Amino acid sequence: MTTSTVGPAAASAPAARQASGIRQAWGRLRHQPVTLAAIITVAIIVLIAAFAPLIAPYAPGETDFTAVLAGPSAEHPLGTDDFGHDILSQLIYAARTALVVGVGSVFVAMLIGVPMGLILGYKGGWYDRIGSRVMDIADAMPGIMIGFVVIAILGRGTLILIFAIGLIFSMNFARMVRAITLTERKKLYVESAHVSGLRNRQIVFGQVLPNLVGPLAVQGAVFLGNAIKVEAALSFLGLGLPDDQPSWGGMLRVAAEHQVDHPWMALPPGIAIVVTVLALNLLGDGINDALSGARTTRKQRKKARALAPSLADVEKARQSAEARETATDAAQAATASVIPATASALITTPLHPETVLAVRDMRIVADRPDGEVVPLVTDLSLTVGRGEIMGLLGESGSGKSMLAKSILGLLPAGVRVESGSVELAGEELVGRTERQLRSIRGKKLGVVFQNPQANLSPVHTVGRQLVDPLRVHHGMSKKAARDQAADLLDMVGVKDAANRLDQYPHQFSGGMAQRVAIAIALAGDPDVLILDEATSALDVTTQSQVLDLVLDLRDKLGMAVINITHDLGVAAEACDRVAIMYHGELLEVNDVFSLFHEPHHPYTKALLASHPTADHKVDRLPTIADFVTADGEWIAR
Amino acid sequence: MGKLVLYRLGFAIPQLVVVSVVVFSLTYLVPGSPAAAILGVSATPESIALVEEQLGLNEPVGQRLVEWFGGLLHGDLGTAYRSGLPVTDMLAQRIPATLSMILGGMVVAIVLGVGVGVYTGTRPGTKADRLLTGGTVLGIAIPEFWLGIILTTIFAAQLGWLPIVGWVPFSVDPWGWFVGLILPSLTLGITGGAIIARQTRAAMVRALAAPYTDTLTAAGVPRRKILYSYGVKNAMVPVLASIGVVFAILIGVSFVIEKVFSFPGLGSLMLTSTIGQDFPVVQGVVLFTATLVIAVNLLIDVLYGLINPQARPA
Repeated sequence: MTTSTVGPAAASAPAARQASGIRQAWGRLRHQPVTLAAIITVAIIVLIAAFAPLIAPYAPGETDFTAVLAGPSAEHPLGTDDFGHDILSQLIYAARTALVVGVGSVFVAMLIGVPMGLILGYKGGWYDRIGSRVMDIADAMPGIMIGFVVIAILGRGTLILIFAIGLIFSMNFARMVRAITLTERKKLYVESAHVSGLRNRQIVFGQVLPNLVGPLAVQGAVFLGNAIKVEAALSFLGLGLPDDQPSWGGMLRVAAEHQVDHPWMALPPGIAIVVTVLALNLLGDGINDALSGARTTRKQRKKARALAPSLADVEKARQSAEARETATDAAQAATASVIPATASALITTPLHPETVLAVRDMRIVADRPDGEVVPLVTDLSLTVGRGEIMGLLGESGSGKSMLAKSILGLLPAGVRVESGSVELAGEELVGRTERQLRSIRGKKLGVVFQNPQANLSPVHTVGRQLVDPLRVHHGMSKKAARDQAADLLDMVGVKDAANRLDQYPHQFSGGMAQRVAIAIALAGDPDVLILDEATSALDVTTQSQVLDLVLDLRDKLGMAVINITHDLGVAAEACDRVAIMYHGELLEVNDVFSLFHEPHHPYTKALLASHPTADHKVDRLPTIADFVTADGEWIAR
Repeated sequence: MGKLVLYRLGFAIPQLVVVSVVVFSLTYLVPGSPAAAILGVSATPESIALVEEQLGLNEPVGQRLVEWFGGLLHGDLGTAYRSGLPVTDMLAQRIPATLSMILGGMVVAIVLGVGVGVYTGTRPGTKADRLLTGGTVLGIAIPEFWLGIILTTIFAAQLGWLPIVGWVPFSVDPWGWFVGLILPSLTLGITGGAIIARQTRAAMVRALAAPYTDTLTAAGVPRRKILYSYGVKNAMVPVLASIGVVFAILIGVSFVIEKVFSFPGLGSLMLTSTIGQDFPVVQGVVLFTATLVIAVNLLIDVLYGLINPQARPA
């Protein structure tokens, strides 16, 4: 009866990769102790049911009138019921009933639901409209009610019970299969199969069915548990199996009658149901997790906590870094050269007279599930001056967004700052607690992320999302904050600001939503504004407008801006200085004109060369020979 | 808002009509004839024909369908085969007990589910989260009627704190009504609460991992405010849907646990009518339940529109 969610990975893996996916899933299963325990429990229950006659001390109908309603004894380890049936033997034979009815009804449910879902999902049109109505009607009916009605019409009996319970769950299968078929149908590989002339049926069975295996296994396990619960409930009411057939529900019916005088009788069958259903549900969850590869281990979480640097460590590291910095400054002054000795070191322009943000020797790592520590950003140092727009340029996976997130203290789970320091207007940020970070968030540091719509809460008005930070930072009344919010919106170029405060994010275009996000980031008058790919999702015209806005705001408010981007155009258009990042390292920092006209680092040269411009006619776009693989390896070719 | 209600009614009314047609057609699915089912082994062709005549079962389908809908519009659900009483009266007598129990169960399920879900969803991976989430897994696996037996055994039979037989009409004794509802509501609410808790937890975790949470955090909005005002409101969008599902489940479960608490509700009526193949009563209970579920889903969709601006029709 519970609707369990199905892992997206299982539903989306193309058929060709299914086999290796299942092997991977098995590999993950081994690391899920709860799932292993569930598998073992289910196996034990199946064995007990299969070998009931060998295990049970008495035959199912055997009565012992010398011991009626007796407590536990040597002959009857769990006692007897009102007819002198041995409760232990009843319990063992009832496991058989539960599994037969459960498996049978899941089979019936699949038999009805899977073809129905396939047809609705694949044929669409009228089939789908009518079929979906049928499912809506089933929704209006509590599951057990369907059981009542089937039994009222057809009478009692094992097969009828299996059919009744199967019918209850068939619609869930139909719904799930329909949804998966719909997504699969739309996928490219089904369309390409169409083109190659395969018949519809072949497509459905060849391409869609393999993708159903995972979700069906998950749902099958969960519904088996539910079916056993429903069987017990119907047998408890006396609507299930004939009375001579032992069932956990039937045993509980007897137990309920003797609730006052023999309360212990309710325990064995109840526990049997709970254990069986629990094991099946956990098995379903486990398969789902294994297929989707979700869930971090406890070890990982512990490790992440233990490894986070403390404020004291950071302080020490910063002092030594500062000492070195003065040394390099001196060395630089001495050589009067901007090109350092080693090839990997940075090319630095003179420091801005008034540094507002200084990142020193930053090292950010990710902890992989297998215990390996993957560096994402290595020994990176960077300073940003007051009122300066610093472009942080790099391709995807170069670690630029992780750097930004580490400055904000918003690193995702499993990623941490291993060492280094971030100094913002004289305050250390690394190693701060959530509470300590709050005093700088918004007030000293603002941020705008990439996806304009997702950056705003969809169920709150834009005004509310501006008023909340304003009230936090300026302790304003609601009324004053609202006026201020309208002014902010007006400043970022949203027209009719006062009225638009009451609108929701989905009523804003991408560019406008991003302006709102900028207004939120500016609510606390920050010293530094970080744009984390903030214009990447916008079309070129809108992008340009938002960048102009940022330049304007910088001139007006005087805050520094870190503009993280993978777009050379954005870096060239709206930055004073540009830092080039590659594979977690800072390769080159220079003012925007020098960098684009006289790149020093070979990578920067290659990067600029790969940018198509109207001046050069090329047959083939130049590419950079190294590439970063999905799991973070840096492969050189 | 009126627009949304109208829009949803336009969806619910056809659903209700189709459900009534399906319920009407149930008697045609009986192998042989309902009359034969009523008469049992003693049936002869003559007695079957006589009973069919008396019950109007031999009239043409069209005429019976028109009569069925005509009756429905006047609140007439026909006459019970066994007792000869109007089905509407029989239902009316049972509805207060069933509605009271479901109301109590829903209150427990929502308070427990949303409470536990928000609590665990704001601290995923902690010990408290693992313990409570483990509890919800158990809550879903426990058969409600067994839980009912255990609770009455402990709190009524052994400790004597609460009455074993629960139902007291509200009009007779409001306090007795409340006390009698405690155990049934807990029994009903725990499974539903477990389902809602799992949904709420997942929705909270999703909401707190969303970019807007980062935007607001970075803008300096206190975490407490983000959790309870932004997180919860965003999480309520999927949670509302699960509350609708839980409502339908709770009705079904209440039919089973009525037996444990000796509640004179629709469940015991449905049980005797199912065994006795008293189809007009079965049809009446099914139709009432389906109407109730459809009405509650309508209400939930309207609430959904209130929370989620994107779900409002333009």
